[in-house]
Amino acid sequence: MEQNENVVEMRGITKVYPNGIAANQSVDFFVRKGEIHALMGENGAGKSTLMKMLFGLEQPTSGAITVNGEKVSLTSPTVAISKGIGMVHQHFMLVPSLTVAENIVLGMPPKKGLFIDYKKAVEITEEYAQRYNLHVEPDAKVMDIPVGMKQKVEILKALVRGAKILILDEPTAVLTTQETGELFKELIHLKEQGYTIIFISHKLKEIKEITDRLTIMRAGKSMGVYNTADISEQEISRLMVGRDVVLSVEKDKAVPTDVVLKVNDIEYTNEWNKKMLDKISFSVRRGEILGIAGVEGNGQRELVDILFSLDAPDAGSATVLGQNILNTPQEKIRQMGVSLVPEDRMTFGIAGDGTIEENVISDRFAKKEFNKGPLFDMQAIHAESDRLIDEYTVLCKSSKQQVKMLSGGNIQKVVVAREFSSDPTLIIADQPTRGIDVGATEFIRKKLVELSRNGAAVLLVSADLNEVMELSDSLIVLYGGKIAAYFDDTSALDDEVMGEYMLGLKRQSTEEIGRVCHEG
Amino acid sequence: MKDKRLFAFELVRGAAAILLALGVATVFIFLCSDEPLTALRYLLIGPLVSARGGFNTSGFYTILAAMIPTVFTGLATCVMFSANQFNLGGEGCVMLGGFVGALCGIYIQMNTGLHAVVCVVIAAAICGAVMLIPAVLKVKLGASEMVTSLMLNYIVMYVVLHFLNYTFADRSKGSTQTFPFAETAKIPALVPGGSKLTWGFVVALVFVVLVALFMYRTRWGYTIRMIGVNQSFAKYSGMQVGKTIVLSQVIGGVLSGLGGSIEVLGRFNTFLWKELPGYGWSGITIAILAKNNPAFVPLAAFFIAYLNKGCQLMATYCDVPSEMIDIIQAAIFLFFAAEQFLSGYRQKIVVRNAQADLKKLGDTVAAEGGQA
Repeated sequence: MEQNENVVEMRGITKVYPNGIAANQSVDFFVRKGEIHALMGENGAGKSTLMKMLFGLEQPTSGAITVNGEKVSLTSPTVAISKGIGMVHQHFMLVPSLTVAENIVLGMPPKKGLFIDYKKAVEITEEYAQRYNLHVEPDAKVMDIPVGMKQKVEILKALVRGAKILILDEPTAVLTTQETGELFKELIHLKEQGYTIIFISHKLKEIKEITDRLTIMRAGKSMGVYNTADISEQEISRLMVGRDVVLSVEKDKAVPTDVVLKVNDIEYTNEWNKKMLDKISFSVRRGEILGIAGVEGNGQRELVDILFSLDAPDAGSATVLGQNILNTPQEKIRQMGVSLVPEDRMTFGIAGDGTIEENVISDRFAKKEFNKGPLFDMQAIHAESDRLIDEYTVLCKSSKQQVKMLSGGNIQKVVVAREFSSDPTLIIADQPTRGIDVGATEFIRKKLVELSRNGAAVLLVSADLNEVMELSDSLIVLYGGKIAAYFDDTSALDDEVMGEYMLGLKRQSTEEIGRVCHEG
Repeated sequence: MKDKRLFAFELVRGAAAILLALGVATVFIFLCSDEPLTALRYLLIGPLVSARGGFNTSGFYTILAAMIPTVFTGLATCVMFSANQFNLGGEGCVMLGGFVGALCGIYIQMNTGLHAVVCVVIAAAICGAVMLIPAVLKVKLGASEMVTSLMLNYIVMYVVLHFLNYTFADRSKGSTQTFPFAETAKIPALVPGGSKLTWGFVVALVFVVLVALFMYRTRWGYTIRMIGVNQSFAKYSGMQVGKTIVLSQVIGGVLSGLGGSIEVLGRFNTFLWKELPGYGWSGITIAILAKNNPAFVPLAAFFIAYLNKGCQLMATYCDVPSEMIDIIQAAIFLFFAAEQFLSGYRQKIVVRNAQADLKKLGDTVAAEGGQA
């Protein structure tokens, strides 16, 4: 590899957030011109914080940043953009109701008199799309395009604004295997044209595949810079988490018994008149983990919302042990032994300003054992929360700590501590390990297996293909609001086949899919 | 450790906000008064220091007496704001509570002791029922409780005035007022000597304890607070969100009604309010100063009462208009509400704490062999 000058130098960066979290401590981060540089680390290691400072979203508490040899003070994204830095966020920052071209020129539209010159916007879009080999449909509305294209729009947006250094925050988290491959080709193309790419990820395989060098972060500190070619996956993993993580979960063969959840012909049309669920039927039995795989946006969210009565279907039925759970107050659903690890844990899973204790008792505070007459039995409540913090190894100072002060992984542990400890009959786990560190991920996966083997029915929804294939005993693939495939045995599956079903290239016969509905 | 220092910081910040606000007031006093020093003396120490320099006992009692209705409205606001319900109907409930309490005191005959209690309870119940209007509109139709309760204040006021003017007025009097209450209905004085400090003050303090217990030690208070923090979370957890939102506002109405009726039956002989008394608004100020924590309500109420008294003295004995208190209150609000006020210093404390914690955490993690 040729020795280039550093295009970005971040020296001695320390960042302490107002809530007391020291996200970065004296971090050095250097990126050479024209390289793809990976920034790796568990969630909460401080990667995002470091990049937010480079993009001007946060200011360092101390330390200096140099871009192209010039010392800069990045007080806002506008300043960062003017220095040639662009960022593609994990959650896309696009306006769904506008077209691709409109999104790309947003905030800097070409004008004809007082009006936006839409034709010019389309031209700009096409010109850049051509030049960088990032194919998009300029006239399509963002809400109608697939995730992969949204990401291209984001990249184009940054390029149109003159970015020479691109920060990609976990760009593959939402992509299928095929889309990821495409993205990598485009990134290499960009690199060949002299662009510098900073690639945030914790997926080892991808890093090995695409990056030149990598910086590893752990607990807010840099663990060093390495040439990707010279470091093994095991070594990276060790540096990231400080021990060798076994990423596969050991589990014995499932012995499913009676049917717990039975879903029949559920249909749902969303507010934009798009059919999100089209006659979905399946069942989940005691003792098994049924996985739902699929690219995000193929009806998973709607299905989970309906099963927990956060939304109502147009037609169909769903029962738990014979009792209806649709359009039912959550209190009753929980009494039936259903628990949910929600996808959006910050909105549903926790009350951020509440203490850990207040968060873990939210489903059981009204029970007799925690009340003495009209008053809370504080001792019983303290005991319960201490027990859960202990059992679920929530890393915190005390049960009185505010949940929002915890790291992502520990916040999720608070959620699962509550949801898994209520002796559930059915656990719906929606993206249970998304965006959390390896340690917590492993812990949660093990717990899910343990609970299913102890007789719970588990419905696992995950966009993480590895997770859903690794954990599920049987799985269904959702595509376009329909079940595209059912596999009663996951051990012999491979990514390629799954990808084909997930992208709608293949579809099983009705009889094959119908096997997922068990009697009983 | 950490939290203690931050708590101390919050206290310092509160004190600084008050001092700065008084500083602003001082500037205005110097601008509009010919005898600014005398005016300031009345404002700052007048309420507690008599003209001769001794402790002003009656002044002290007056301040405590003035706290009675505002402690109740402050508590009411704490409960409603904790549930994220910006119900401003406390004002109307104070007036309605006072009116209903007065009517019961006039037209019901009972023994001493029981009579006052019955009056107050009926008043509170009716005010709680009135608060069902904004609460149910919110839960069933999604109507903003802030708008409906604000408007409700004026509806309540005119309804009360209508009945006062046309049905219950004592025509023999020069001004519009009801007939006098029965002696049995009056709230007895706590200290002799004609001060307005009644047993209502003790009741108010008892309610501070009760409401604090309710909010932090019962399942209902817990539900109210969790809804306030994150309503989606509360719903998902299986809490009865709709019912609790209604409950919080009904409690707000009950507490405001208590405040209004205890005030009227303790301070006056007849009902003679012809406009909204303003205690509901003070209650909002107090709840904000107390950060919605019932335990801090008496402190905040004392502060507001002290300030009011000081301004009153200043207006009486000097040439400073009593509207001055509005300026001071506005300034306090401004400094309190400004989250960033002194945040640089707060950040320093946070950084220092974080570094200490990290060091400690690092040590324990190292001791446990790096296990997270």
